[in-house]
Amino acid sequence: MLKKDQNDLLTQTGPATPGGRLFRSYWLPALLAEELPANDCPPVRVKILSERLIAFRDSAGRLGLMDEFCAHRGVSLWFGRNEEGGLRCPYHGWKYDHTGQCIEVPSEPVESGFCGKIKLKSYPLIERGGVLWTYMGPPEKQPPLPEWEFATVPAAQSFMSKRIQECNWLQAMEGGIDSSHVSFLHRGELNTDPLFRGARGNQYNMRDARPVFEVVESAGGLNIGVRRNAEDGHYYWRITQWVMPSFTMIPPRGDHAIHGHFWIPIDDETCWTWSYDYHPTRALSAEERAAMRAGKGVHVTYVPGTFRPLANKDNDYLIDRAAQKAGRTYSGVGGIAMQDASLQESMGPVVDRTKENLVSTDNGIIMARHRLLRATKALMEKDATPPGVDLAHQRVRSAAVVLPADQPFMEAAKDAMIAREGTAHASV
Amino acid sequence: MNVCLWGPAVQSESARAASRAEARFRIDAPNSRRRAVKVIALDSQSERIVERLAQSSWAGAVFLTAAGGAPARGERFSISGWLADLAGHTKNLVGEIDSADHVVMIATAGEKLEAASIIGEACSLKQVMTTALVLSQASTGDAVLSQSLAQLRPWALMLVIASAEDYIADMLAALRA
Repeated sequence: MLKKDQNDLLTQTGPATPGGRLFRSYWLPALLAEELPANDCPPVRVKILSERLIAFRDSAGRLGLMDEFCAHRGVSLWFGRNEEGGLRCPYHGWKYDHTGQCIEVPSEPVESGFCGKIKLKSYPLIERGGVLWTYMGPPEKQPPLPEWEFATVPAAQSFMSKRIQECNWLQAMEGGIDSSHVSFLHRGELNTDPLFRGARGNQYNMRDARPVFEVVESAGGLNIGVRRNAEDGHYYWRITQWVMPSFTMIPPRGDHAIHGHFWIPIDDETCWTWSYDYHPTRALSAEERAAMRAGKGVHVTYVPGTFRPLANKDNDYLIDRAAQKAGRTYSGVGGIAMQDASLQESMGPVVDRTKENLVSTDNGIIMARHRLLRATKALMEKDATPPGVDLAHQRVRSAAVVLPADQPFMEAAKDAMIAREGTAHASV
Repeated sequence: MNVCLWGPAVQSESARAASRAEARFRIDAPNSRRRAVKVIALDSQSERIVERLAQSSWAGAVFLTAAGGAPARGERFSISGWLADLAGHTKNLVGEIDSADHVVMIATAGEKLEAASIIGEACSLKQVMTTALVLSQASTGDAVLSQSLAQLRPWALMLVIASAEDYIADMLAALRA
């Protein structure tokens, strides 16, 4: 349970809100690099943290992310002409460079220097790991470029997708650290999804339906350990990483890729769910990539031409009651991603946390909220840099390990939880 | 012909039900009864924390201490006189567990935490949910923390390692304690 003011603080991320200021402390994924595939390609509308922006790649390959609307009369620059080093408004020809600086106002004499007085708000946009990242905070506080492992391995080793989720970011993100729902909602997929099946760890999951939880604060967020019985006095541990404000990494299964998410607010009632898969030491196979494109694992298939999932609230998520009855799916919705999203969206645009009844196994969620609130307060009152900005906080891995019963996972799996180039992930 | 230009002509059941407008019709009535949460300090540092927590307003949480620890081997021990409330009144452990929905044990890394086994065993017998929360400072060594966790792990279905005292209050509030 949260008080209303706490819920508002965490769920509102527009400009000038405390939660918005927290998100504006980080490099955030804004677009897939493939959305701006070539110089002078069509611009793309972007809404992020309740700000309407336009992204483009100019003639020299420079990336721009700026206010969507022309400073002259408010026309959307989505209609703009991306040509000769800038984005030109088609209404009266005003032209902007990748920093938002107006560089031409055809109706005014060049000598007047009028265009020098016009500048749209803009943010840096950089490419890394197939993702275009932006930083929307004060320039003097811009952190070093992100170093999440999925974004630093060779391109052949990673895959990234994104989808629109029609609810507030926090309820979506909380699903990512709620380890106890997997045994119910996703139980049908463990042994059938090509990106999960075949791992020895799946058997431990299926055999022990009463896992025990450990939640440990880490420098950047949380380590959430879930323990199940294994053979001969050993435990099977699955250790999830959460790094502030909204990055999660799910423990791997066998030699499958590691996957996880970012949840980035579009506005207070929708968010982008970014979903990555990567393998630290090998290229993803053609079969794995095909499965990811086909919506397996944590990915989805789309309404053609959009990032909206094909199964969505307008078609009741293609719910299949016969599959539910037969046990092929637990909720009747197909695919892990939409099993989660359908339930999270059913809570409403922003869930009312004053009415919830959390239990002890929700401590991961409780701790995440606590850390978000604490970091926001420290940022507002002391201008303190929040956890997750430091690059060391980003060099983490989730892990799945079998340990002797007397060994705490924080010690025994310490090395496994740090990303090290060229070393395999710890997985069972 | 009427054409809806921005979306489906007829909203699906899910789209309508999940809208902001429909949220107005959610039933505004209590959906839970008061929980009996017993918060027990396992050591003297934790006892001071629990005393501070008890000053706040709670929905019914009961604050207790077992900071005296478990008896030494061979010492005479009465389970009925071992647990106390914060005013120093002796409490019957079995009685307290019997009436609990949830027991939260508060511990400090590096302190003697043998009391966890007695409380944990009673909770196990009565099938009461247990959470152990260990406060660990940055200066606490891995070995010290590990030793404390080893004492708690068998008796906690949820084990939380926190760096700051204020988490306990947030956790108890979240659990409607």
